[in-house]
Amino acid sequence: MHAGELAEPFPVVGLATDVLTAARTMGDRRLPGVIVCEEDGRPHTILPGSQVVRFMIPAYVQDDPTLARVYDESASEKLMTKLSKRTVRDLLPEPQDRDELPVVDQDATILEVAAVMARMRSPLVAVVEGGRVIGAVTVSRLFEALFPQQPDAS
Amino acid sequence: MTQALVVAAFATAYVLIATERIHRVAAALSGAAAMVLLGVVDAHVAFFSERTGVDWNVIFLLLGMMVIVGVLRRTGVFEYLAIITAKRARGRPFVIMASLMVLTAVASALLDNVTTVLLVAPVTLLVCEQIGAPPAPYLIAEAMAANIGGTATLVGDPPNIIIGSRSGLTFNDFVLNLAPIVVVLLAITIGLCRWMFRHHLAGDRTDIDALMALDEREAITDPRLLAKSLVVLVAVMAAFVSHSVLDVEPSMVALLGAGALVAISRLEPSEYLGEVEWPTLVFFMGLFVMVGALVETGVIASLAKIATDALGQRYFLASSVIIVASGALSGIVDNIPYVATMAPLVQDLVHAGHGAPGAEAAWWSLALGADLGGNATAVGASANVVVLGIAARNDHHISFWTFTKYGLVVATVTIAVAWAYVGLRYFAA
Repeated sequence: MHAGELAEPFPVVGLATDVLTAARTMGDRRLPGVIVCEEDGRPHTILPGSQVVRFMIPAYVQDDPTLARVYDESASEKLMTKLSKRTVRDLLPEPQDRDELPVVDQDATILEVAAVMARMRSPLVAVVEGGRVIGAVTVSRLFEALFPQQPDAS
Repeated sequence: MTQALVVAAFATAYVLIATERIHRVAAALSGAAAMVLLGVVDAHVAFFSERTGVDWNVIFLLLGMMVIVGVLRRTGVFEYLAIITAKRARGRPFVIMASLMVLTAVASALLDNVTTVLLVAPVTLLVCEQIGAPPAPYLIAEAMAANIGGTATLVGDPPNIIIGSRSGLTFNDFVLNLAPIVVVLLAITIGLCRWMFRHHLAGDRTDIDALMALDEREAITDPRLLAKSLVVLVAVMAAFVSHSVLDVEPSMVALLGAGALVAISRLEPSEYLGEVEWPTLVFFMGLFVMVGALVETGVIASLAKIATDALGQRYFLASSVIIVASGALSGIVDNIPYVATMAPLVQDLVHAGHGAPGAEAAWWSLALGADLGGNATAVGASANVVVLGIAARNDHHISFWTFTKYGLVVATVTIAVAWAYVGLRYFAA
């Protein structure tokens, strides 16, 4: 099976998209991340949900998780404001840190897809055809294809 | 010849520690290994000699306190105290800064400085975010308060622990001789911060709704463990105060306290030992072996004789030189190896005084100079480095020079006042 067959339609966001929109896209569709594309539709990188969470939660709370307990309910509104003020570009690492992208060609094998996921520690891999994103393979889709359900012997 | 080689090996290791070309633990262990290879140090000299070996009182006092802190910080008590302190200040920026400085200084007097700032800095960032204030001035002020507060007691700063062990001075001696001037120095530093950070502290009251909405009680993760920990901490402090009467070394007090806390907390070993800074303890061991070699070969005795011959009975001059030199050097190099090296030298100087009035002031000058000098630069004390790291991780960059321009003012003023205190208290009569 090839990446083109495994790929599912996947939402993409632009570098200028605000982080709140990207987070809502992931939340609404229960996705582990979204594909970030250049203006011309070429894949730029993957934005994993964990990166958004790391941005959302201040480093000092990550250092001292006890502090997360002292916030009141209105804190979530502040987080929303924080996400809406920043763009996806703000969350991404500097170019030299992301020379390699979690992207495969549509004719890549299933193990090539798995290898890219493992090496890049990415929960999804974008699939391209002629440089354009045609969809993505998530880790759950990968497992589904690798380890299909056996028919019940009984 | 051996003496020259020992001095060369010591100097090389010291330069490596100071410049951080290699990790300080590796540098200290390499220095210790060189002393063994030169035939100056053997197992007896390194492990069993009170004069030249590893100072186990220092090692186990640090270990005991680290375990106690490791349990205590799991309770959330520091976060609780910092938040309630800020809320009591009701959004007034300078009052918040001063309150957090006092809290940091008091905590540093009882615990080590790095732990204190590690606990207070995240809460400070939270408070500053709530009141919309720039956190850098608050963090810088807290690092300075930690270094000043740690000067007050035998357990407040590692140099004091070394001095306490080498000199035989008690916990109460430290409190009676250093705590009064530390209170004055803290008040002066708060005033200096008011002036230095006046543009950041402008305005009387900020929007305090977000601050007041924080629920400090939620920070307490385990009230029962907190109650047990506080009982043990109070007992340990009481034992420190009375250790000379009880005839129990401070290291034994700390170990007994740690043992009691471990027993009643029922935490897993990985939980209370996870907070122990093993690299720091190993660094100390390597350092003691290096300095022990200088003592063993007579280098320290020779230096002490030169110093004694030069200074004679002029103990005020000796104290003045020690406090100024220690202050200047501690701003540049780590004050732990500095004090470890100076302690046997000062010990010889004080012994040469044969109990003369003022001779013992050399110890207080060493403690004041080394501890307060750490404020001079961003790398002068571990607490400063930790605070800068926390600030950077939270996108509030504090440069070396930003810290240093404030630190130099505070270090210069506090050391000058401390020098005057030493003169007035021990030599005015």
